[in-house]
Amino acid sequence: MATVAATPPSNTPALQAKDVRKSFVSGRLQSTVLHDLTLDVHAGELTLISGPSGCGKSTLLAILSGLQPADTGQVRALGQDLSGLSMRALEAFRLQHTGFVFQGFNLFPALTALEQVELPLSYMGLAKDVVRKRAMDSLEEVGLTPRMRLLPAELSGGEKQRVAIARALAKQPELLFADEPTSALDAANGQIVIDILHRIARTHGTTVLCVSHDPRLVHHADRVLAMEDGRILSDHVPPTASVPSPLQAEGLG
Amino acid sequence: MVALARKTLIHEWRRFVPAILAVGFAGLLQLLQAALVLGIFGSASVYITGSSADLWAGYPGTQSVNLGRPISEDVAMRLRMDPDVVKVEPFRWVDADWRGPRDTGGVSVFVSGIDPRPDGMMFSRALPQALRARLNEPGAVIVDKADLDSLGVNIGDTAAINGQRVRVVGVSSGLRALGGVNIVASLETARVLDIDPVDAGRMTYFVAKLRHGVKPKAVANRINGSNAFGPYTVWTAKAFARESSLYWMFDTGAGAGVLFLAGIVFLVGAVITSQTLIAAVIGSIREYATLNALGVGRGSLRKVVMEQAFWVGALGLICSIVIGLILLEIARNRSVPMELHPLTAIVCLALSMALAIVSGLASVRSLRRADPASLLR
Repeated sequence: MATVAATPPSNTPALQAKDVRKSFVSGRLQSTVLHDLTLDVHAGELTLISGPSGCGKSTLLAILSGLQPADTGQVRALGQDLSGLSMRALEAFRLQHTGFVFQGFNLFPALTALEQVELPLSYMGLAKDVVRKRAMDSLEEVGLTPRMRLLPAELSGGEKQRVAIARALAKQPELLFADEPTSALDAANGQIVIDILHRIARTHGTTVLCVSHDPRLVHHADRVLAMEDGRILSDHVPPTASVPSPLQAEGLG
Repeated sequence: MVALARKTLIHEWRRFVPAILAVGFAGLLQLLQAALVLGIFGSASVYITGSSADLWAGYPGTQSVNLGRPISEDVAMRLRMDPDVVKVEPFRWVDADWRGPRDTGGVSVFVSGIDPRPDGMMFSRALPQALRARLNEPGAVIVDKADLDSLGVNIGDTAAINGQRVRVVGVSSGLRALGGVNIVASLETARVLDIDPVDAGRMTYFVAKLRHGVKPKAVANRINGSNAFGPYTVWTAKAFARESSLYWMFDTGAGAGVLFLAGIVFLVGAVITSQTLIAAVIGSIREYATLNALGVGRGSLRKVVMEQAFWVGALGLICSIVIGLILLEIARNRSVPMELHPLTAIVCLALSMALAIVSGLASVRSLRRADPASLLR
């Protein structure tokens, strides 16, 4: 799996959703959040899903990342069908291949920045020195080396989100999912986080799927999907993508 | 491996203090309760544990040392005939009524008539040699210093037991009795005080010392084998002391009370501890959910919570041991009967650790709320 993802054939989507339907029941009311949605997300791209709240974009992210099963339809991630996997198998898949960045930073108050990043790595069966090196490298990549011994309470919001990104990045995932990563941040910090996500997609070849309604992100995305009422309304390349990705042409199909 | 459980425990110690205290106090209560019960009911067998005899021979089926009846002098002969017995000594028990110089009303006392010779076995551990020698004086008695008030006497005062005049020649400690007051006298004095015609000069027990290195149990079994010298039973000192304490414990219903209280303490401790641990899990639920999103399995998260429970238990145990030792020391200085064997202490502490682990298991269930999909809303 890792080798497949490390050199993805550019025409093979990293994530595929086919006729995915998801409904939630509250009381007697059944509301359909995703209507037979079909979607390909291309490898090595920063794909942005935007839309008003309640349009189903977070549910789509949860299904594509294997956090939630779809009611019907098929989900393939890195060529693997996620639909039939058990909870344990999904956990194993996520441990090996995915990173997450959430709107809340969700850092353990008792751990330093370095330990936050090391924690998930230590469950991957890596040697201790590998864990340490990867964690330091990731923190360096997000520019937090000088602050890696600090606790979350001693970090600013933007720094906390960068720790959260480093935590996801250190796993060296093929897939990185980000849910509203900038909405709790001010303009400057939001910009820093956007730049980092952008760079991850470019330099690591990571497939970044980002859900956000932050307009600043649009210009950094390789592809923007606009969602409403559980359907994809538009699928376009933003006009001013800052640096053209080598994969972008194929990605657009 | 990042020590998440320990670091969280240290960083958020305020959150865990109630659980640590709950485990600590549960452990402390169990320890003190056990020590108190063993101490109090242990004093039922002070005649045995305060003496150096290896074997006790008494009326058949006697359930507790204070319930002895007179036995034949021939039993002493039977004991002496055994090749492993090196010494036999009589012990006379007299239930009596005390009248002190001050108004104390009637006080029920147990007179122990012992051989006052310096090498006597009875109360050899509770009476210093010099004090023991004073019993040779006719009418001389020794009491526990904690009983002076209830007897209404001071050292040197005279009083009456069963209408006969006695004089308190000294006090000792570690002589307190259960359900009455212990009075130590010489065999001769005890004979004078014994006005029950049934006893007619007969002894209540014969105690024996065995050759060094001989197993008392084997000798007791051997001597119990025959009835040729009249009815009697021989116990090892250890078995008789235990039997006496247990008799009191169950006769008074204290045994059931102790178990009941232990159950309550365990329950209350477990409720507080589990609630605290649950609150700690819920407090970090988003972080746990994030770890799960990143692929850290539920089993690993459970281990973190259980490790936390273990450390809470360990810290609680340290609390109970430290406070327990201090209280035991205070109790000893104030003649409060408390006694704690290592085994009992270990059982009590193990119960507290079990409490922490059970609470941990209860709090593990709240990890179900660590649903990573919930972080996306």
